[in-house]
Amino acid sequence: MSSVQLKRLLVALNRVKQHGYIPKCKQSTAAAAQPKKEPEKIEVFVDGKPIHVEPNTTVLQACAVAGVEIPRYCYHERLSIAGNCRMCLVEIEKTPKPVASCAMPVMKGMRILTDSPLTKRAREGVMEFLLVNHPLDCPICDQGGECDLQDQSMAFGNDRSRFTDNEFSGKRCVEDKNIGPLVKTSMNRCIHCTRCVRFGSEVAGVSDLGTTGRGSDMIIGTYVERLFMSELSGNVIDLCPVGALTSKPYAFTARPWETRKTESVDVMDALGSNIVINTRGGDVLRVIPRTNEEVNEEWISDKTRFAYDGLKLQRLTAPMLKNRDGYLVPCDWEDALSVVAERIGRLGNGSKMAALAGRFCDAEGLIALKDLMNQLGCETVCVEERFPNVGASIDLRSNYLFNGTIAGIEQADLVVLIGTNPRYEAPVLNARIRKAFIHNDLQVAVIGPKIDLTYSYEHLGDNTNILSDLASGKHAFSKALNGAKRPLVILGSAMFERPDAASLYASAAQLSEKLRDVSSKEDKEWRVFNVLHRNASQVAALDLGYKPDVKSIIDLKPSLLYLFGADEGLIKREDLPKDCYIIYQGHHGDRGAKIADAILPGAAYTEKHGIYANTEGRAQQTHVATTPPGKAREDWKIIRALAEVCGASLRYNDIDEIRERIEQVAPNLTRLDSIEQANYFKQNIELLKQHQSSFHNQPLTPPINNLKDFYMTDSISRASLTMAKCVKAVDQQLKSQHRN
Amino acid sequence: MALTKRLPLASLLQLSNRHLATQTPPPPAANPPPKAQAPPTPPPAQPQKTKFGPLKDEDRIFTNLYGRHDWHLKGAMSRGDWHKTKEIVLKGSAWIIDEVKKSGLRGRGGAGFPSGLKWSFMNKPPDGRPKYLVINADEGEPGTCKDREIMRHDPHKLIEGCLIAGHAMGARACYIYIRGEFYNEGSNVQLAIQEAYKAGYIGKNACGTGYDFDIFVHRGAGAYICGEETALIESLEGKQGKPRLKPPFPADIGLFGCPTTVTNVETVAVAPEICRRGGDWFASFGRERNRGTKLFCISGHVNNPVTVEEEMSIPLKELIERHAGGVRGGWDNLLAIIPGGSSVPLLPKKICDDVLMDFDALVAVQSGLGTAAVIVMDKSTDVVKAIARLSDFYQHESCGQCTPCREGTGWLAKMMNRFVAGNARPAEIDMIWELSKQIEGHTICALGDAAAWPVQGLIRHYRPEMERRMAEYAAKHGDAPQKVSASGH
Amino acid sequence: MSLAARIPQTLKQVRPVLSTDHAEAKRRVLNLYKIWLRQIPYIRVDYIKNNWSEIRLRDVIKENFMRNKDITDLRVIDLLVVRGQMDFVETAEIWRQQHNAATLDSRKDTYKKKPAGFLERFYEGH
Repeated sequence: MSSVQLKRLLVALNRVKQHGYIPKCKQSTAAAAQPKKEPEKIEVFVDGKPIHVEPNTTVLQACAVAGVEIPRYCYHERLSIAGNCRMCLVEIEKTPKPVASCAMPVMKGMRILTDSPLTKRAREGVMEFLLVNHPLDCPICDQGGECDLQDQSMAFGNDRSRFTDNEFSGKRCVEDKNIGPLVKTSMNRCIHCTRCVRFGSEVAGVSDLGTTGRGSDMIIGTYVERLFMSELSGNVIDLCPVGALTSKPYAFTARPWETRKTESVDVMDALGSNIVINTRGGDVLRVIPRTNEEVNEEWISDKTRFAYDGLKLQRLTAPMLKNRDGYLVPCDWEDALSVVAERIGRLGNGSKMAALAGRFCDAEGLIALKDLMNQLGCETVCVEERFPNVGASIDLRSNYLFNGTIAGIEQADLVVLIGTNPRYEAPVLNARIRKAFIHNDLQVAVIGPKIDLTYSYEHLGDNTNILSDLASGKHAFSKALNGAKRPLVILGSAMFERPDAASLYASAAQLSEKLRDVSSKEDKEWRVFNVLHRNASQVAALDLGYKPDVKSIIDLKPSLLYLFGADEGLIKREDLPKDCYIIYQGHHGDRGAKIADAILPGAAYTEKHGIYANTEGRAQQTHVATTPPGKAREDWKIIRALAEVCGASLRYNDIDEIRERIEQVAPNLTRLDSIEQANYFKQNIELLKQHQSSFHNQPLTPPINNLKDFYMTDSISRASLTMAKCVKAVDQQLKSQHRN
Repeated sequence: MALTKRLPLASLLQLSNRHLATQTPPPPAANPPPKAQAPPTPPPAQPQKTKFGPLKDEDRIFTNLYGRHDWHLKGAMSRGDWHKTKEIVLKGSAWIIDEVKKSGLRGRGGAGFPSGLKWSFMNKPPDGRPKYLVINADEGEPGTCKDREIMRHDPHKLIEGCLIAGHAMGARACYIYIRGEFYNEGSNVQLAIQEAYKAGYIGKNACGTGYDFDIFVHRGAGAYICGEETALIESLEGKQGKPRLKPPFPADIGLFGCPTTVTNVETVAVAPEICRRGGDWFASFGRERNRGTKLFCISGHVNNPVTVEEEMSIPLKELIERHAGGVRGGWDNLLAIIPGGSSVPLLPKKICDDVLMDFDALVAVQSGLGTAAVIVMDKSTDVVKAIARLSDFYQHESCGQCTPCREGTGWLAKMMNRFVAGNARPAEIDMIWELSKQIEGHTICALGDAAAWPVQGLIRHYRPEMERRMAEYAAKHGDAPQKVSASGH
Repeated sequence: MSLAARIPQTLKQVRPVLSTDHAEAKRRVLNLYKIWLRQIPYIRVDYIKNNWSEIRLRDVIKENFMRNKDITDLRVIDLLVVRGQMDFVETAEIWRQQHNAATLDSRKDTYKKKPAGFLERFYEGH
């Protein structure tokens, strides 16, 4: 068999594994681009009600269209079909046996009976079989109240038990596994739906979980005791329909009906994953994902899910000022604001002032700070992450956005990753790439170090010459690249820290523009160039006109520096003049607070209404789940109050007014949950032509390349005990004899 | 013992009388129909045949079932294997399938699906994927020992069959999945394959027909469930042997994602003979819809346990009396018979007296032919314990994938083990009946059904015996069922 | 009958609570007002800690009545009258405590006013 045949075969095989059948390729081929005749819809009857569905839909989906929810355990929309729980059995007229609706494709004229005696009896039987070995420990089970088994046994189970055999030989016992500090296992409760196994092997790309043993001895586990080494491991908690996999940090904390749910947005990375924050009595109890097809589907990373305990530790709860001995001492807001205002006033004008915004700042805080600084005459208002000053730089939004959109990855046929490790910079995005890789034949190429991205890719090398080789067509991969119909070039924001960032950026942009010439024949709207940011505040800050240049602050030698949640430690005390007065506003006592002379305690993302724009430029808002601790206040209010004490005037008094102000500066930030598209690639390329490329020799290495470094990257996760435990667990795992 | 006492010379002589069925229709005088003597074989137009068996020696397909002769290529050729294989292959796949259809051959693995029809599913327009033939030699059904005899003593029949069946379905290669415990069988088949390669019968340009065909042997690890076709495919792919969901059927997406047909060893091994002698010849045995000859494996309480080739539809009693030397202690000492391997319901003596051994007759008495493994139990047998043992077997062999089978087989076994002593309430008999109905038909593969049927058979025919034990136990121990400290397994 | 058709009909046939027309309602309100006024000397003695003068108490009662001066719905007026009667009984029977009776008087309100300016509110924590 030739290698081509073999590859085709493996692709087919993979699909079969995923779907049980060969699905239609979503990727557009030349044939698909032409208006093809819609496949004729099939008429089926659900409980006598006629409905029309596409061919290849399953019976379960057809029932969903008809508004009939079929009970299920093993079936999950985003996982392959296993068909092993048998809960979804339904009767189909003229078939002798009930069929598993999750796996059965519809056929013309099929009459599905979801409420017939046969169907009901089958469900009752399956419920009975599931419960025969399921422990009766609902009162001490963390899944209680949100348990599929509980709900469905109430709805579909028999109302009396006949487990006479339990008196003789008891129920099955399975040893609990220790699979790390995040997921708690209670394997007696497992109903062997294998959702977790499928999630691990399909979505997370980590085959740690699997089944061993046969029959009633079948066990879900890792074979030898080891860590479930995935940055997405927490999602198995949501997937598990029973209480076999629950959250370790949340164990025995609350029942779902006791908690208040606040829909919000995550800020741990620049994706803006949609989350629900569960709180009770002012405590964040847990964070769970919220479905958003365009951003995170229904996955979130472990940092998003578990770093919340960092919100209670190391918090700044009162304003502080340095006393004569050089110690920070808590004080009242009046004192703090008047001292800070007096300091600002002492400077006369703002030319020797500077401000630096960190990764968790919301748009409200950012606009308030910028307005204040500009009114005081300060123009050095920067954001921590850099961006090269070349071509149109940040003047054109298309230059710094993930233009292709996250969902767009699924349409792409080729992705080039330059100096980024999406697995740890944006785990959910990486899962999306993996999804496209598995289902759509996505080809991935990496310029950077050889890293495990959970999917195979073409490794082009890690030096800077490759970019120019690709652009000029000299590289061996150029042919594949130029043949791509919908390519995406993803440039990691870590690369902007390099001294040759400008040249790197220019060549990546030029390469993308070249590829766009080809792709525009296929799709005029297709956008090739993407920047993958790491900071949640970055896009909003750039939209609002912050300078992405920390160095300019050091060059300015400021007498007063305003750190707004800037905790990366990019500016050290030594870099500044001795008498420089440093004000830190933020929520954690981290690197920024350490060098500050005055501290103004702000609110974390769970404690304020704030707009964040993700790497695509999609504006989303967080909501207040809890109140800020102690004397901490919402950030824009602190700045607004300081402005009043300083004698500057910011003309907004409430959240609506400040959002009006944001609308004046960057209207896209107030159009929530939508993407404002940006479209000036050509013009930028014209400007880039003047740039003379000069590259440095150092390899294109993203900063985080292993799981251990993923967990603690910012002030919240650095304060989190859970994240510290994860680091320790990974460390131990790597040292253990079962490291692979 | 009904052995074929045929010398190599005799078989050679007969060989000369054999014709390819389609070459020239054999003149009736020169080549009398095989059933000319003993029970007169009716021509196709004649009224229904009523007497079946015994099979005449010259009608036997497996002429080295007992290993009396050389199983290597030379010996096999002397028995007629590889005779005019090239011509058969050159007749084309449509002809072969047609001939198999005409013969009325039904799958010999247990389900009894018409083979010609099954093979014809593979003849779809090519889509670039290769097609595969997979031979199911994972013979694990308790009581069954027919495929191993073929592989041990007549491997060339199997290999020739693979070539012909493979060609009929346009397969590129054939995988023979041999049960792990069959070490000698595996090595014999492997040697035979090498001989066939060397002789140019398979491989590139097999038999000089221009058709490329490879055969690979794969040895399993000894799991009963790997005898299920999709589990076998999974196992062959290197995964856990767990049945796949159907649809898609293997004929669409099978081994490595390619169209695949999985067939039993016996089914494939008889194919060359059918092609050589003609489908009509094969169809002259047995009743309508139950044509051909069949290997019966008779075990248990008989005087001479044996695997024997017989005509389909032979009466059960005659089969046992003639070939197995009768039931131990005489026919009247018979208690029950499991007629088709462990997974079919048992039959009590009064049914065994006159039942015919074929698919339809056994279904009519609520049992099945299965693999035709006849397990005989005389009156010394504890029938409840025997079925409890089978329940233990199915619990052990359940793959654990789907709920009713995983949980149900264990539950059945637990209850059956209590029933052995009678430590249960009579109402539980109804309960276990209901449970077995909840398993049956609700699972991915047929193992759930196979576990349920023996229990159902037991209740159907031996309920009074079970109730008697319970009453006895209750009289001895008081009314309440007793707790046992450790479970039976 | 469809739901939509039923609604207007039900609305039309509102059952009166007490009064059938505005004149009757007005009479009830005035009667209540008079009862309260007649009670003033006793309220002053019963709730002596509130230190009400007769004039002030008259204003308090008037204030409480005038708070609802814009209500025109007969049923609401009737219910308010009923509630006023109940309040009256509670007051006259001295079921109330001294400080509870003080709630009648808006001047005796002890709530702290929210500051209006942004900075003041900020210091307060709003």
